[in-house]
Amino acid sequence: MTNNIDRVLRERKGIQLMTHVVAGYPSLDMNVELIRLMAKHGVRLVEIQIPFTDPLADGPTIMRANQAALDQGITPDHCFELGAALAKELPDMGFIFMTYANIPFAMGMDHFLNRAAASGASGIILPDLAWDEPGGDYADLAQERGLHPIMVISPDTEEARLEKILTRASGLLYTTLKVGITGAGATLDQGGLDYVRDLKKKAGLPIAAGFGISSPEHVAMLRGLADVAVMGSHILNLLDHQGLEAVQDFLAACG
Amino acid sequence: MSRISQMLPRHFGPYGGRYVPEMLVPALKELAQGYGQCKQDPQFQAQLTDLYHNYCGRPTPLYFADKLTKTLGGCKIYLKLEGLAHTGAHKINNALAQALLALRLGKTKIIAETGAGQHGLASATAAARCGLQCTVFMGEVDIRRQYPNVYAMKLLGAEVIPVTDGTKTLKDAVNATLKYWIQHLEDTHYILGSALGPFPFPVIVRDFQSIIGREVRTQILEREKRLPNHLVACVGGGSNAMGLFHPFLHESGIRFHGAEAGGRGPKIGDHAARFTNTPKVGIAQGYKSYFLQNDHGQLQDTHSVSAGLDYAGVGPELAWLYDQQLVEFSAITDVQALEAFTILTRLEGIIPALESAHAVARAMELAPTLPQDEIMVVNISGRGDKDIFITARELDRNNWMAFLKREVEDDQ
Repeated sequence: MTNNIDRVLRERKGIQLMTHVVAGYPSLDMNVELIRLMAKHGVRLVEIQIPFTDPLADGPTIMRANQAALDQGITPDHCFELGAALAKELPDMGFIFMTYANIPFAMGMDHFLNRAAASGASGIILPDLAWDEPGGDYADLAQERGLHPIMVISPDTEEARLEKILTRASGLLYTTLKVGITGAGATLDQGGLDYVRDLKKKAGLPIAAGFGISSPEHVAMLRGLADVAVMGSHILNLLDHQGLEAVQDFLAACG
Repeated sequence: MSRISQMLPRHFGPYGGRYVPEMLVPALKELAQGYGQCKQDPQFQAQLTDLYHNYCGRPTPLYFADKLTKTLGGCKIYLKLEGLAHTGAHKINNALAQALLALRLGKTKIIAETGAGQHGLASATAAARCGLQCTVFMGEVDIRRQYPNVYAMKLLGAEVIPVTDGTKTLKDAVNATLKYWIQHLEDTHYILGSALGPFPFPVIVRDFQSIIGREVRTQILEREKRLPNHLVACVGGGSNAMGLFHPFLHESGIRFHGAEAGGRGPKIGDHAARFTNTPKVGIAQGYKSYFLQNDHGQLQDTHSVSAGLDYAGVGPELAWLYDQQLVEFSAITDVQALEAFTILTRLEGIIPALESAHAVARAMELAPTLPQDEIMVVNISGRGDKDIFITARELDRNNWMAFLKREVEDDQ
């Protein structure tokens, strides 16, 4: 199976940027504008987070964005519609729906994946849906629908589990650079960088690295190590405090 | 002993499990392993028993509530007085045991979530006793309404961090503590206070709280030469209920009653009664169970006059016991709980925690319908000192407000 994620990674020159938006934050219209801007600056992979009341892996920036989006009445329907409209307008982008286990659980996993695929997405990230729990091993179901199940691991993931995860993951393997939650950080952990280097050798899959990336220097440090650098909280912070222009400057500096 | 019998249950029917980001898995595995070892270790058990007896004041009394029994005119009512345990509630049973476990795991810091503040207080106490650093996460709403416990935690040297996200109550305190834990796994143990969260927490908390039911069994056999017919407990996450129920679950002929927070009524956001209407299964906070949630899977706001019952989920083992119709749940409103609070105080000279007052209210509904030769045990999981800011405002408003005003003015 190949989809936009594979094409983006095949065609990439240097490190590919992957960004994260919370659907409905600050508004659905602003999501569209932001993603257009990202596309213009070479971002070709975008996570669209379907907001959830209790986002376990997210730090304060993204958590508050989830809450604000929910306060405005954003539902999964809005998120799929947003994804569909963007996929139509930007057919070369790889869109990835990211959310927490209870959203697909409430909807029914089949239905959730059908909706995601119909919205033109290329991948799914469900960080708290453990693959070794009942109902959690959704990789085959996703792949049958042309969606890559993007598994998230950390430098602490044991070898034996990593092997099992690698039999399920496709498209992209997402590792965090630290053991922690999402959020912009001042420095990148050297241990995290070393881990990415080792992982790249054994994974046999493109590697996305994230958690704590908040400067063009951080992206530069990942060049040659990771295939993809993921940025979420930092861009949200820029947007919140300095507006779209600051996001534009930042993306330009990363490119 | 066979290998199988030593394995801790990760699921209760379809519920429970370990639905967490991959990076939490190593810490939870380490915890399960460490706990499994302590469970088999006579030295650990002896140390814990010694502290239960000589530090916590266990066994707590099983008191025959003569006047309450006569007034209600039905079955015989016994009260398990967990409020007489050190720090005023059953929470110390688990907090102290987990603090010892933290030491075994080589941790130097503990963190805890708290709703009513009893678990925070118990954790802060256990930390002081065991020489561990303690941080407690508490919803902003709960900090206001349970201030006496906040003050006590600080006295004990704990740092209390207000949680300002989401509903600003117990659920969000659990989220905040889990997130802090993810960032400090190396030196920190999370003392979860209720029988919920990802495996192995539900089984650890249940096991440590089972001292309640084991004592009740011994005490009632001494007094009545037979087992009780009814066990009643309030249910927030479910730690005091599981602690009372668990040692009796394999017995036939016992009915188990859980009292949930009916709050102001059945409207969304006005209660925390997960089993009324059509209970919905979900996955959140690391486990699968029943959660108050909307059709999209978003957890709903809750309300209860008692902070400890003000929670959208319920422990996974209780979910499974509900499915098997072993535990019967009913919603007790704020008004009923306050009424039961007053009645128990006046009749028996026992001031229950508002959480426990829900169990008393349920007992008051049930007892008159039950034959006089039946026996009921109600878990008074905590005492009511901590609730002074709520009960005084509700029951003696004018005097209380005048007192508060005077105190502030005197200080200026």
